[in-house]
Amino acid sequence: MTLAQRRSFSEKLGLLHELELFSGLSDADIAAIGHATTMTHCHPGQVILSPDDPPDRIHILKKGKVRVFRVTPDGKQLTLDIYEKGTILGDMRLLGQDRSPAAYAETIDAAVICTITPDELRRLVERHPIIGVNIITFLSRRLQEAERELEAMAYQRVGQRLARKLIDLGQRFGVETVRGTLIQARLTQQELAEMIGTTRETLAHTLGDFRRRDLLDTEHHHVVIRDAERLAEVAQDGDEG
Amino acid sequence: MIETTDRFPVNRASSIPTVTAASMAEVDGLAVNEFGIDILQMMEQAGSHLAELVRAELGGDLRGRRVVVAVGPGNNGGGGLAAARHLANRGASVRVILARPVNRLSDAGRHQLATLLQMSVDCCVAIYDVPDDELDREFASADAVIDAILGYRAAGAPHDGVLWLVDRVARASVPVISLDLPSGIDADTGEAPGAAVTATATLTLALPKPGLFRGAGRERAGRVYLGDIGLPAALYGRLGLDPGVPFAEGPILRLAAEG
Repeated sequence: MTLAQRRSFSEKLGLLHELELFSGLSDADIAAIGHATTMTHCHPGQVILSPDDPPDRIHILKKGKVRVFRVTPDGKQLTLDIYEKGTILGDMRLLGQDRSPAAYAETIDAAVICTITPDELRRLVERHPIIGVNIITFLSRRLQEAERELEAMAYQRVGQRLARKLIDLGQRFGVETVRGTLIQARLTQQELAEMIGTTRETLAHTLGDFRRRDLLDTEHHHVVIRDAERLAEVAQDGDEG
Repeated sequence: MIETTDRFPVNRASSIPTVTAASMAEVDGLAVNEFGIDILQMMEQAGSHLAELVRAELGGDLRGRRVVVAVGPGNNGGGGLAAARHLANRGASVRVILARPVNRLSDAGRHQLATLLQMSVDCCVAIYDVPDDELDREFASADAVIDAILGYRAAGAPHDGVLWLVDRVARASVPVISLDLPSGIDADTGEAPGAAVTATATLTLALPKPGLFRGAGRERAGRVYLGDIGLPAALYGRLGLDPGVPFAEGPILRLAAEG
């Protein structure tokens, strides 16, 4: 190995070290992976994946951005997504995920990608099961992010609706007590759930959350608003869209 | 009814209650979760009415007319995509410009886009797919522009591809028809925290948003129309709203400002 080769190899190891996929591995393991992978410096606009490629490479985006696009029957490009560093690209069937059909990937800026064949990756996983665990973490995080976003949206709306409804009821039926504003209306969870258009289960969950945050208290089918100001903030929190 | 100036019935704006963004989110939630009226059903009506309004703005015949549809990532954009399909079906030449990549669209938006691609309607993503000057020429040569970039849920100033597209639509010198409200205008206050579109006409959905009659929104909304998306009185009743029967004379209503 020449001096220049050694320098580029040590840069490669530095980049590999930073990749989440190879976290938890020793320096010696990273060096072994360094020999099994190819690190490519790409210029902007370089196509790194095309539908014609045989499914024999997995790319890990180390630096820069990549645009994934399809080409319409009349030859026009349509951007599907923009990926940033840490993303695994390539034939995701090898990692148990479907690949976008007929998709191309090209670099947007000066990007660095780390390439490995499925066989090499399989051998690496056999030798270093932690890499397999890291791959699973990467893939499930993609899925969880999407699910969490949906859940948060749905939940936020119920919380907001409940806060608004309670403020409204407080204004109409509230009496001040030492513990806060007591809503003098006997309400079952079912009735309250119907008022804000949700299920009793979701309402119970949301009430529990409000109780934990000391926004309110409940007793014998009555609600006491403990902190009107913070409840109003919950009611005000806008949806993003 | 106070007068009829075109083929859409006209009502006083004050005769129909306005609905804040937060209440509209509740209306949408109730529609989907309690009344089984899903987003695609509402979007279909929004898109069809929007295409009708464009037809009226262009003098009654869409054949051969060029319409640019500016589409944001949310369901407002989905309504624009549905309108693009109806416009193409009714003879217009349509160019769709998306503010963000396909995978960032809402599920319903992607569903609409897939149909447009099957129809070979020209679709592209701003910034990434087509040089800016080509899209600038597209805006310049269009007969009308649809603004379906941001809806009532949008908060704060537009950024990234959304800003790029809002800027282009804001500079357009042809009729601009906004869906629900001009993009960049706050649905509640009518203020513009950043770049915003000035519309020739706005088709607001279900119930009008207060921002169409306040602040910058009043100037930027142009003529305001209200479009029926099929929501029942019982749903509004759950939220203590009573809009009456606004669509007795047709599914699109012109809302006339007072005075």
